[in-house]
Amino acid sequence: MSELVNKVAEILKAPVDLVQRSAEARAAASGKSVDEVLSSWAGGESVEASAPKEETPVEETPVEETPVEEAPVVETPVEEAPVVETPVEEAPVVETPVEEVPVEEVVQEVVEEVVYLKNESSLAFISGVLSIAVFTFVFAFLTPKNQSISVVESSLNNTISVSADVIKGAEIYSELNCQSCHTQNVRTLIPDTQNGKVLSNKYANKALIKNIGNIRLGPDLSTNSLREPTNNSQWLGRYLTDSSSVNREIPHPNYEFLNDEDLDYLVTYLLSLGESNE
Amino acid sequence: MKLKLIPKNEQELSKLFVLIFPLTLLLSSLLAFLKDSYFTFANLLPNNQIFNYGFLDRLSTKASFGLVFATIVCLAFTYLFSKSLGRIAVLYPLLFLTLLGFVGTEFLDIVLSFFYQDNLNITGSISVVLLLKLLVAFGLFGLASLNLLAKKETTIFASAQFIYGAIAFYFLSFLIARSELIVFTDSLLITSLYTSTHIYVGISFIYMAIIHFLMTKPIDATLFSKTLSLITFWGFLFLLPWTSYKYYFGSVLPNWLENVSIYLSLSLIIPLLAFTVNYVKTIQTREVEMNKSASLMNFSVILFLITNVLHVVSSFENLLPLVGLTNFQNVISYGYFGSLVLASVSLTYYLIPKLFGRSVKYSLLEDLVFGGLKLTYLFLLVNNFLIGVNSGYSWNAAANAGSPAIYGEGFNIVWGLVGINYSANTFISLLFLGVTMLFFISIIRTVSSGDITTVEEMVFNNE
Repeated sequence: MSELVNKVAEILKAPVDLVQRSAEARAAASGKSVDEVLSSWAGGESVEASAPKEETPVEETPVEETPVEEAPVVETPVEEAPVVETPVEEAPVVETPVEEVPVEEVVQEVVEEVVYLKNESSLAFISGVLSIAVFTFVFAFLTPKNQSISVVESSLNNTISVSADVIKGAEIYSELNCQSCHTQNVRTLIPDTQNGKVLSNKYANKALIKNIGNIRLGPDLSTNSLREPTNNSQWLGRYLTDSSSVNREIPHPNYEFLNDEDLDYLVTYLLSLGESNE
Repeated sequence: MKLKLIPKNEQELSKLFVLIFPLTLLLSSLLAFLKDSYFTFANLLPNNQIFNYGFLDRLSTKASFGLVFATIVCLAFTYLFSKSLGRIAVLYPLLFLTLLGFVGTEFLDIVLSFFYQDNLNITGSISVVLLLKLLVAFGLFGLASLNLLAKKETTIFASAQFIYGAIAFYFLSFLIARSELIVFTDSLLITSLYTSTHIYVGISFIYMAIIHFLMTKPIDATLFSKTLSLITFWGFLFLLPWTSYKYYFGSVLPNWLENVSIYLSLSLIIPLLAFTVNYVKTIQTREVEMNKSASLMNFSVILFLITNVLHVVSSFENLLPLVGLTNFQNVISYGYFGSLVLASVSLTYYLIPKLFGRSVKYSLLEDLVFGGLKLTYLFLLVNNFLIGVNSGYSWNAAANAGSPAIYGEGFNIVWGLVGINYSANTFISLLFLGVTMLFFISIIRTVSSGDITTVEEMVFNNE
């Protein structure tokens, strides 16, 4: 049979394995043997004009929606006959003697194994992706953002008055990326609410907003100024410059490279946490 | 090996990105190692403006999720997108400049961070660079759209559609990152949606694009079902952007958003199952034996599945307080990124013979690279999972006892529970650094002294 396959492959100018698989698929659909199918193809007329020269080296299996009418091209879960013509729709083909299968159809079958034709235009695909992107942007971002702003605006006490020193401290906090380890993000879950008020109903400075933090590795700092010993400026200053002098167990960066002025700003900011939320 | 200064076509452009990829991975692993060292040994190491945990954390994040990711996007775009849909020839100079800008702006962002540490926005980017990134992403998105619209054949390939989806959401993530901060909620909104569009959708879609190629062509397999592939594509595209909000369950975010996030996260199981079935059934039809590089692809799929299963399982409402705001969130990001890296390494070894005409010998060096990469990501996921769950449990236990912020002695107890895992993270980073160095050596060795084989010309030549 391999000679027959090679012959057909040569006629169709298609890879041998594709011809083999297409013949198997055709045989399964028509109830004939693979040899019979190959013989009919080999006996066909010349096909050089329609041979799928460009399509055969396609690199990957393409995927796109095939319309319902195109259902005949379906992958079978069976070992290695990925393309099978659905027998029901193909009934007329079955009735046609195998020997009379037009060569163009054979070529088309080979092509279809590697390139699934789709009816939708690229525009439909692009529109689909863009629609989901716009939907996400509007409903997952703009809507909750506007909702939060309107909640804050309707609040009676919607501003926080913070001193310039606190803002400077907040900027240094952000610059050092303290929010990598510390949150100021107390949740409304029952355990967390015991820790202090939620920060939503306030307008705030950008530097303050940036410092909320998303992951809690070290202690949450939203009530820093309400606790011992972190409400002590001297203790804080000492801890920030040489943490091991206060607690040897916990690794904490030493910010001894900060000048005195910046350190003061940072301590002022940390001491403000908790007060502004009251 | 000849590599022209200005690549003349996609073939040479792909070569360039194949060579840049190991370099960016090396930089990323070096920064991750420095970051973890400065966390674990914070009391011992001398700190300064550059070498402190906070700054290194920013750099490391940018190198991984910015630079490495951008390089892989460019590689996937040049080799899988423009080739398969290929009407890009006319627009080649534009494509070349855009892709260069794509990687260049990410690199610029890292370099400028050293000089403008006080000028970084909430996602860690400099405002001007972010604007450039936005323009470049828009350019690539425009080129991709043009490419789709200009194609003559009425077909679209699995890989190409995933790349297109990734680029669309990559662009969206920059739009979100530039949004203004007005109220405290904005912080969580922006970081959540940026994470889910940039990392969850962006990374996993580029990963999908590479996998849909690797599971068919290199092992001569036929895609099991295009319908399942479509379910995977549209399912993930719709669901993934919403899945990050749930980790802030109970926070200042609107309640409806947190609930929607929970339900849509649970629904991830549908596209995940579709992908799994499609993958398993597809590789069963392979006609070529899987080599060591292909086994790396298998492992990347396992990693991807584990990541998604954790993503789904963590959506249960009673588990969220335990995993939210903890290192568990990093597990998800690392999982997606790790899958992408493993698949890209596999793709790189597949491409070298095709692009450079040098065959790959799978020697001890390559065994070490593959084994090392698998171990690194497995350890990284397990370790951060333990940190996340243990610390989350501690926070909640303490909160129930009336001290949610856990200071002083209380925090010593928490640290006693997770401290060892943080030290382990440093050694995992060291392992990763070693492996990426070996990977770099392996690529250089193969490209420069591998046995000569036939170069497979890409479809289009613009010379």
